[in-house]
Amino acid sequence: MSIVIFVLLRLAPGNIVDILFSTGGYVSESDKQLIMKELGLDRPIWLQYVDWLRGMVTGDLGKSYRYDLPAWQVIKPLVPVTVELAILSTIVAVLIGVPTGVISAVRQDTALDYALRVFSLAGLSMPSFWLGMVIILGLVAWMGWIPPVTLVPASENFKIHAVQFLLPALAVGYRSSALITRITRSALLEVLREDYIRTAYAKGQAERIVIWQHALKNAILPVITVIGIEFAFLIGGLVVTEKVFNLPGVARFLVDAVLWRDYPIVQTLVMFIAIVVILSNLVVDLLYGVLDPRVRYA
Amino acid sequence: MSACGVLTLLVLGPVILSLVAIATPAVSQTPATPKSGGVLNAMQREDLPQGFNTHETGTISSVWPVMPCFNNLVLFDPAKKVESVDSIIPELAEKWSWQDNYRNLVFLLRKNVKWHDGQPFTSKDVKYTFDVVREAKDAPAKLRTSPRKDWYANVENIEAPDPHTVIFHLKRPQPALLLMLASGYSPVYPAHVPLAELRTRCVGTGPFKLKEWKRGEYVEYVKNPDYFVKGRPYLDGIRYVVIVERGTKYAALQAGRLDVAFPGESTKTVVDQVKAAVPKMVVDVVSQNVNDNLLMNVTKPPFNNVKIRRAISMAIDRGAYIKAVHQGGAVVGASMQPKPYGVWGLVDKDLQALPGYGKPAEEKEKAKKAMAELGYSSSNPLKTEMATRAIAIYVDFASFVINELKQIGVEASLKQIETAQWHAFATRREYGLGANLTGIGVDDPDANFYENYACTSPRNYTGYCDEQVGKMFDTQSQELDPKKRYALVAQIQKKLEEEAARPMMGWRLDYFAQWPHVKGLVPHHNLYNYGRMQDVWLDK
Repeated sequence: MSIVIFVLLRLAPGNIVDILFSTGGYVSESDKQLIMKELGLDRPIWLQYVDWLRGMVTGDLGKSYRYDLPAWQVIKPLVPVTVELAILSTIVAVLIGVPTGVISAVRQDTALDYALRVFSLAGLSMPSFWLGMVIILGLVAWMGWIPPVTLVPASENFKIHAVQFLLPALAVGYRSSALITRITRSALLEVLREDYIRTAYAKGQAERIVIWQHALKNAILPVITVIGIEFAFLIGGLVVTEKVFNLPGVARFLVDAVLWRDYPIVQTLVMFIAIVVILSNLVVDLLYGVLDPRVRYA
Repeated sequence: MSACGVLTLLVLGPVILSLVAIATPAVSQTPATPKSGGVLNAMQREDLPQGFNTHETGTISSVWPVMPCFNNLVLFDPAKKVESVDSIIPELAEKWSWQDNYRNLVFLLRKNVKWHDGQPFTSKDVKYTFDVVREAKDAPAKLRTSPRKDWYANVENIEAPDPHTVIFHLKRPQPALLLMLASGYSPVYPAHVPLAELRTRCVGTGPFKLKEWKRGEYVEYVKNPDYFVKGRPYLDGIRYVVIVERGTKYAALQAGRLDVAFPGESTKTVVDQVKAAVPKMVVDVVSQNVNDNLLMNVTKPPFNNVKIRRAISMAIDRGAYIKAVHQGGAVVGASMQPKPYGVWGLVDKDLQALPGYGKPAEEKEKAKKAMAELGYSSSNPLKTEMATRAIAIYVDFASFVINELKQIGVEASLKQIETAQWHAFATRREYGLGANLTGIGVDDPDANFYENYACTSPRNYTGYCDEQVGKMFDTQSQELDPKKRYALVAQIQKKLEEEAARPMMGWRLDYFAQWPHVKGLVPHHNLYNYGRMQDVWLDK
């Protein structure tokens, strides 16, 4: 993974000094050599790679070319913003997606099912950044108000902080909920046709108990998988939402760093995202065992 | 009171009252007394590219949020829209004088000025700054890159005979040097702070001290209590909020989360929408001193042929370009900013006589004829590439020109270059045709001609080089009589347009928006020079 990140970045076209100093317009060849030396880019690539790996192990993530600060110092304040937004968005997605999917499955082919399917299809069709922009423009047009454009810490004003995060979480969560709705519906429809569900009904158990305790428990594994994937995707995929709501998160910063060829920042952020993906998959795998005894190891 | 007195009062009373009403201005017109306090929230379109190291950058994204931290020797008067030698006011220099027939520029500096870290400001700081910027042989430090070192090419040396005197010794007379020192691009740096540190923190003498730079989020300043101008600044602080998304930044302005827009960012269309929603929003229409120019690689065929270049220039309808691409938010002009926004622009009569600036239909016919004489037509077109930066405003420009050229037998295909690579690409001249934008830091021929048209300048993207024209640059630069200098500059502009050295499509206007409670912020006809914020106050 580290080799892929390292090599891909260096394959991107353009001279890094030209790009870093593009605002100055022109850098002479001699200046270019000096800057390359200052940034340590004049050394062979394999040596740069070994140094980077050694740094990763020892906790030295390098220095941002653009900000002239240790990469971790630049990245540290961004991580909680993105993680908070991703968690909130996932919660919103689950709160909307699972009940909608269940209702849609239980009331299959009724008017309510059709309505909920249209609702979820709309979520899939609407990009979250578009929905975000509609929310922002709607607020300013109708109320002459939008949330603060700089981050307000929860410790300073919890209410404002909550609003700053809930609006983007709604925009992102709605899109993710659409996927969860559809997976929940199809998984549940399959389970609802099983013999043991019929048996449970025959025993006279209430529909609520049959659905939520028997059927859903057995249908939830693919839903958990989707939630895990969505969460991991959100960590790196909130670029435009963070831009629209002006939240200083990882994803927005990553795009800027790529454009500026700020290698230490990009490498660290991509590694961070990769670790989150691995961890969220691990959590999903562990949850399988908790929810379904059949997949537990002896 | 007697009946006569009552009658007099009844008759004369209304007359006296109306006279008083005429003599007394309406409350809104009365210049209010400045109030101290409050924090100004200003729009910032991107994070600071090179931190606070202005001398390493060439973008308004650096100049605008960094200006409040520093001072210059001299500055263009923040209260005057049009910048000229007459609008220059002292800053760190208390007085200045030209000596030896404009060969020596002597500055007498203010005393008791302190850097934000408490160190005293002296002439050593001035010498250090400009030796570093011009990359003097004995400069004590080196910038990573110095984009404006050509501005100081005529400086022989800088002398600091005592702590409060600085002398710029010039190779030849150059009155325009003072204007370049008055630009927002010319702050004085502290000699005791390493250049690298200015990329992460700001130590200036300016009206505001850096409180915090939250990367990607905001830059925040607080009032400098030791500022050398007593009673200034009025504001307690300024916060430059980084908002990248265009819709969000104008929603924030409209909702009052921001007090002022970012220079050069507001187009007519956007501001019309904001103004419709908030009618009391104050909008100043000013020139940006930024032009849209067509690059033609003069160093290679076919554009080394002046006839082809001229035909191409004639083919483009500037008026239609401004309407279509800028929705009217630009003006036609030659190589210097047009009047009344700038000082050096050609008068309409002279402009209309130039190739490409006359009646569009007639110009296009002439262009077609010229191309036909060279063997090109719609059935046998001249095929080339039109390169441009992959940003919408550039692509719109390029697309319009491609369409215009099709009508005279030139078939150009669009080639988009990643934005950060554009300048290096243009400098290497890896193109035939190019659509480009150029911002000029100071409205003066020296700042423009030497940078964009001189044979040796790396920013001379087209490679146009004419020794005779180079001599004309030097002649106008040394001319002390403003009228004679204007005549020489006009002659140069005509020559550049006749040779289609870098045809101008238009000069961009800025629709600078700010809330009415913001006072004392006067946008100039130049993006780069009005960000000091010393006299800005909030009427809340």
